[in-house]
Amino acid sequence: MHPILAYRGRLGPYLAAWVPLGGLLTGLLAIAGSPWGEAAAIAFPMALIYGFICLAAWYPCKSASPHEVPFPRVIATQAMAAAVSAMLWLFLVDTWVVLLEQIPAFAKATERFPRLVPMILAVGVVLYALAAALHYLLMAFEEARRAERNALELEVLAREAELRSLRAQIDPHFLFNALNSISSLTGSNPAAARQMCLELAEFLRESLRVGGVASIPLAEELALTEKYLAVERARFGPRLRVEREISAEAGTCGVPPLVLQPRVENAVRHGVANLVDGGFVRIAARRSGDQLRLTVENPVDPGVAAKPGEGVGLANVRGRLAALYGQEASVEIRRDGDVFRVEMVLPAAPAQAR
Amino acid sequence: MTETKTPDRLRVAIVDDEEPARALLREYLAAHPEVEVVAECANGFEAVGVAAEHDVDLLLLDVQMPGLSGFEVLELLDRDVAVVFVTAYDEHALRAFEVHAVDYLLKPFSAERLGQALTRARQRLGRPQPGLAGIAAAARPPGVPLTRLLVREGPQVHVIPVEELDVAEARDDYVCLRSRGREYRKQQTLAELEARLDPGKFVRVHRSFIVNVERLARIERYAKDSRLAVLKDGTKLPVSRAGYSRLRDKL
Repeated sequence: MHPILAYRGRLGPYLAAWVPLGGLLTGLLAIAGSPWGEAAAIAFPMALIYGFICLAAWYPCKSASPHEVPFPRVIATQAMAAAVSAMLWLFLVDTWVVLLEQIPAFAKATERFPRLVPMILAVGVVLYALAAALHYLLMAFEEARRAERNALELEVLAREAELRSLRAQIDPHFLFNALNSISSLTGSNPAAARQMCLELAEFLRESLRVGGVASIPLAEELALTEKYLAVERARFGPRLRVEREISAEAGTCGVPPLVLQPRVENAVRHGVANLVDGGFVRIAARRSGDQLRLTVENPVDPGVAAKPGEGVGLANVRGRLAALYGQEASVEIRRDGDVFRVEMVLPAAPAQAR
Repeated sequence: MTETKTPDRLRVAIVDDEEPARALLREYLAAHPEVEVVAECANGFEAVGVAAEHDVDLLLLDVQMPGLSGFEVLELLDRDVAVVFVTAYDEHALRAFEVHAVDYLLKPFSAERLGQALTRARQRLGRPQPGLAGIAAAARPPGVPLTRLLVREGPQVHVIPVEELDVAEARDDYVCLRSRGREYRKQQTLAELEARLDPGKFVRVHRSFIVNVERLARIERYAKDSRLAVLKDGTKLPVSRAGYSRLRDKL
């Protein structure tokens, strides 16, 4: 894009900068022997005409970018462009002078013109060089701005990709164990095996679907979580006890997809699955004012210290909520004796329409 | 009519915390008349007890279990039990199995695959098991020190959190662990134990002693080159010259 023509508000100041040059040219013409009135009548239109001609400097500047083209070729291209510009200018000025001659006050203008030719060509080359420099400068500026914008866009893309991969994480351990349970039920209880296949399929399908959505109603996230729990119940039997405390108004709030289910999965994996007699998973969701509060609790084996790597999933959800809501969201992790508790607070807003 | 050899009887214990997983093994094993399922265990503690009290040839052992993991069970077994691991997914475990050539079944698995595992186990029976403790060590994520010690007394398993261990002492062919005013016997060398303890908390002060740094009260000098470590409960332990320099580095 042309660094001057493409932006509203740049052409005006650019052309205005040529007015003082017109004054300068008037002085030069007067020194060369023209009377002041005639000099001004030639010089100011002359400056304006060259202002327009020099806008074309963009094309040689673009084709002879010093980043891409060897320096001698840059010089050659620009020298040629300068010569062509100056000649064109000379031709147009000559035409203007012929027109001026029709006015009786400037009757001698044509007669004096040949003396001005070397000067006009010299000034033309110098002014072209200045204009080319200005174009290079503006182009570099645009380039820097574009690079900055690209960097920002890349950052946003990277964050989105990261979120997508987080959402796509399905624990292979869960999957293989579920398949093993199905394999087992196939012999002893085919109806239950089929039921479990359906639940597993629904859970996977829902997980994949919500992965591409920015926000879903909490009620949908809870339904997804229930499908997950149905699969786990087949594995753990009475060892897995689920307690729910969901307020009706919380269900309509929008949440980022898979904000709750992985927390429940962790509660099963690190709580219930590690306890010989099993245990509970307590899920609570309530809305207080403009805040939505989601809590997941599970008992932990008192003899077992926190396993390394346990914090990764939680660090992820913390980063994700921070990226989406900034200061308005928080994740609190606490261990009260033998109960592990994750509380997430996010702004309560109705789910976005899809 | 071809002559068939009567297959040897195989006494098997199933160890898995998930009922459907046990049911599947039960179902598959029913097709092998020579196999007798002597016990089904829902956790590692039961497995250790069963292996100690019954005459078990083969354990079909899940890796991820509450209480004691399959690897911890392994550490507490007498060496003449064959083990086939049954696991869903665990990169560390898989590497360990491959390195030590112990058979393992990946869930879900077929009846044929279980049959192969039984054949391999039978071939190995009566021969010494390939370093079972090594499998447990290889399966542990590297650089993570022990958080608890496991000791078996007959069918019973004691769990000692490492912070409750005061002193470990090398005896003839075992290690004596002192904790909470009791002594426990563990079949292990002091060097093996030392390698798995957090070096920031435990120091080998002597060829025969590892001490919990937090239990130390003071170091006494009693001869020109000899020192004694005095613990908070008054116990005195010899400190070698190398042990003293290790202690000095830590404190």
